[in-house]
Amino acid sequence: MSASLAPECNDVKERYDTCFLKWYSEKYLRNTAATDECEPLFGQYKTCLTKKALKERGIDQMLEDAKADNKENDAEYMKPSAR
Amino acid sequence: MRIFASQHEFAYSWEEVSTNNWRKYCAHNDKASHVLAVDTLSRSLDATTHILRTERLITCRQSMPQWVKRIMGSDDTSYVYEVSYVDAQAKRVTMCSQNMTWSELLQVQEKVVYTPSVEAEGHTRFEQSARIIALCGGWQKIKNSIEEISLERFRQNAAKGREGFERVLEISRQVFAQQREEARQQREGVAA
Repeated sequence: MSASLAPECNDVKERYDTCFLKWYSEKYLRNTAATDECEPLFGQYKTCLTKKALKERGIDQMLEDAKADNKENDAEYMKPSAR
Repeated sequence: MRIFASQHEFAYSWEEVSTNNWRKYCAHNDKASHVLAVDTLSRSLDATTHILRTERLITCRQSMPQWVKRIMGSDDTSYVYEVSYVDAQAKRVTMCSQNMTWSELLQVQEKVVYTPSVEAEGHTRFEQSARIIALCGGWQKIKNSIEEISLERFRQNAAKGREGFERVLEISRQVFAQQREEARQQREGVAA
């Protein structure tokens, strides 16, 4: 898996990525996933990332702008496609 | 404005492609050395539609022609914001990304869609499109040049991206086959 932009978050990121890949291929793709089981691990990773990396590198404001631009995509792709 | 569009078929199932999509930028992929880091910003599973929505931040470093650096600033590190939507029931992955860095000067918006191939069973169709617009003030000639260079760079990255992803898919299949073989041998060893 790839590295994190914050090296201090690499370990927790790897644990989260491993959990996610397993959940994704074994449960989500087989339509047996009721919830995202890796959420607790993600919480740890996110805390590490937000606290240090994003603020320090001034990325948080850029992200807010990008998210605002993406609203149309959300409206379109959160609707289920023809099945 | 410049438009880019391409299609490709991967000789791997939609499940394999959509799973390996998450680990595309791993160490095995030497074609993606311009990608320095990939971080997941959020992930949510819609309780009704079961659509998995993910936001990621991709950190890249690429060389730029000198004159472009002078206009855009000399930092080679750039950030891309990506939102993806996986609809496992419809078997569709849609990924939308846009540059965050230099966005007031240049806008690159990319959309990628993975769906099962209609031509060959067990294959996956990959469609990629991009829109490149130079927003910087100045002469139209400069804007055109910036758009052309960006388009050319995008095309090169797209080709490298496909090659790199093919390699990741191949390795993943080999590893999976190896694991299945080892598991089978273990079972037979136990049974014997």
